Amino acid sequence: MVGAVRPGNLESRAPLGAIRQATPPRACIASGYTGFMLQLDCITRAYELGGERAGVFGVSLEVPRGCLAVLAGPSGSGKTTLLQLAGLLDTPDEGEVRLGGETVSALPERARCDLRLRRLGFVFQAFNLVPVLSALENVMLPLQLQGVPEPEARLRAQAALERVGLSDRAHHRPGQLSGGQQQRAAIARALAPDPLLVLADEPTASLDHAHGGPLMDLLAELAAERGVTFLVASHDPSVIARAHRVFRLADGRLVEAT
Amino acid sequence: MILARLALRNLLRQRRRTALTLMVVIAGFLALSLAGGFMAQTFQGLSDAAIRGGLGHLQVMPPGAMEGDEAQSLDKALPDGEALAARLRQDPAVAEVLPRIQFMGLLSSGAKSVAFLGTAVDPVLEPRHMASAEALNNGAKATGGAGSRWISSDATAREVILGVGLARTLGASVGSSLTLMSTTRDGALNAVDVEVAGLQDLGLRELNDRFLTVSLSTADQLLESAQARSRLSVVLKRPQDITRAQARVQALLPGTEVKPWFELASFYRQVKLLYFAIFGFMGMVLFLVVLLATANTLLMSVMERVREFGVLRAMGLQPRQLLGLLQWEGAFLGLMGSALGLAATLVLRAGLNALHIEMPAPPGTSHGYELDIHFVPAVYAIVALGLQATLQVSALFPGLKAARLRIVEALRHV
Repeated sequence: MVGAVRPGNLESRAPLGAIRQATPPRACIASGYTGFMLQLDCITRAYELGGERAGVFGVSLEVPRGCLAVLAGPSGSGKTTLLQLAGLLDTPDEGEVRLGGETVSALPERARCDLRLRRLGFVFQAFNLVPVLSALENVMLPLQLQGVPEPEARLRAQAALERVGLSDRAHHRPGQLSGGQQQRAAIARALAPDPLLVLADEPTASLDHAHGGPLMDLLAELAAERGVTFLVASHDPSVIARAHRVFRLADGRLVEAT
Repeated sequence: MILARLALRNLLRQRRRTALTLMVVIAGFLALSLAGGFMAQTFQGLSDAAIRGGLGHLQVMPPGAMEGDEAQSLDKALPDGEALAARLRQDPAVAEVLPRIQFMGLLSSGAKSVAFLGTAVDPVLEPRHMASAEALNNGAKATGGAGSRWISSDATAREVILGVGLARTLGASVGSSLTLMSTTRDGALNAVDVEVAGLQDLGLRELNDRFLTVSLSTADQLLESAQARSRLSVVLKRPQDITRAQARVQALLPGTEVKPWFELASFYRQVKLLYFAIFGFMGMVLFLVVLLATANTLLMSVMERVREFGVLRAMGLQPRQLLGLLQWEGAFLGLMGSALGLAATLVLRAGLNALHIEMPAPPGTSHGYELDIHFVPAVYAIVALGLQATLQVSALFPGLKAARLRIVEALRHV
């Protein structure tokens, strides 16, 4: 189930960057398109890296609701930086991040925290499960931080684990799970609070091909089934092949959107 | 509560480090609570010595008795002391009133004369409430010598108990005949022959060299004091009600000055101040050691979990919640440390007390005492609260560091 989204009044806004996709792809329409879930408008975030200027520069893109979108590009192209800006983990130097049509990049940190907790989900390359908690407790964690009562959080976490096929490993700690299982638990953790948008940074990079493909199939299924929007940073061709929409970055700039 | 659970799990994850931190807290608790128990024993001993050494719980004296010098015996006295004592005995809060005369003069053996400080007491009432007769009668703590006994209750008997130093100076022993000389209330010189009933070790060399005790009837004859008494020592039924009792007695005897024992026991107050200064300083140092040690381990723990904190912040944990997480860790360390410290204290206290360790004589006293570390719940509570506060403070800096982490940098941390 996806929470209510305030659709953005995109038609009345000024045109975004030169490369943009205003029309949602067919797969997204099929999953019940009601507007753009994520819009990045002329985003710039620059920083020094090894004495050189790095980051992202003037990137604009739009991701429709229920879409599995991929940020593709080589290492250092700005995928992770853009993902962090979209996930409100960082603040752009210029430009706006809009979530469900609402500008969220200028919000104070407290409100950004709250949005991350209730509207966004994260999946990291290194899984980043809390090592002292079991898989079930890891999935329950964001729910409990939201204030969901423990019995309800437990039920929802069990359902999320079941959906990713990990219910039989619910009481195992991350150290007792394989890489693929840990990533499934991380996806369950990201999905349990019913987020609008899930941001995944190289989710298959720590997995072999046998595990990476099925994991992306799972994300695609979830996007279609639950209307969750995914923005995935990856240079893995098998990930790109499963995407509804692909944004290619090079040297911090958006060079292609398909 | 999820933060509390997370904090507890984090502590259990780093078992060795948590154990080391706990050992610091336990050692702090142990040192402070044992010192507190030892202080309590010392204060109890000193207060008992002051109260049962003659002060009682309250002292009734003539106004201004504490100011200036006495030109002669009974210069500052309660003229109707015995009548006041009789009136006080009617009060339900009063267990007993012990009239006393303090006087001075010369004690002569014929061949030698020595200046003395004397106290005249009721030979019947005094042994019931004060420690002096007890020590003489049971021979404990190496009192003056063989054959010593308390002065006779016979009003016609003229007997004296000498400090051991005074007896040594005069070459007197039990049964010796001596002459007491002093001035009467009118200023005339008077003398009384007395027999040495006992020798007394008062614990302080200066007192042993100068102090003697006689019965009130002997002093009455020597000083012609009639009903006059220097002081009335009041023993209360409920010593804990001393402030209320002081007000009652003062209201009952308006022309007198009523003081509680602790205002008069200057040695007790000096020792108490000294102990508070010494152990207060020690306590500060110990708290500082605990603060630095625990802050260091918590900071190390934060530095090892930078990435984890980044993930929690990315998930929506507020900076203040991260601060709270570290505060929970500090709280659990404090609680566990104090609980284990209390258990260790009780075990060590029992062990030390069972060893019957003889402590050396404190400065200025002539005999030692047995170590008996007291069980003082208030001290344990204060130490536990102090350590808890220290742990919360020590968790503050690592907590602030964690709360100020930039998420994107924390997520990159290796």
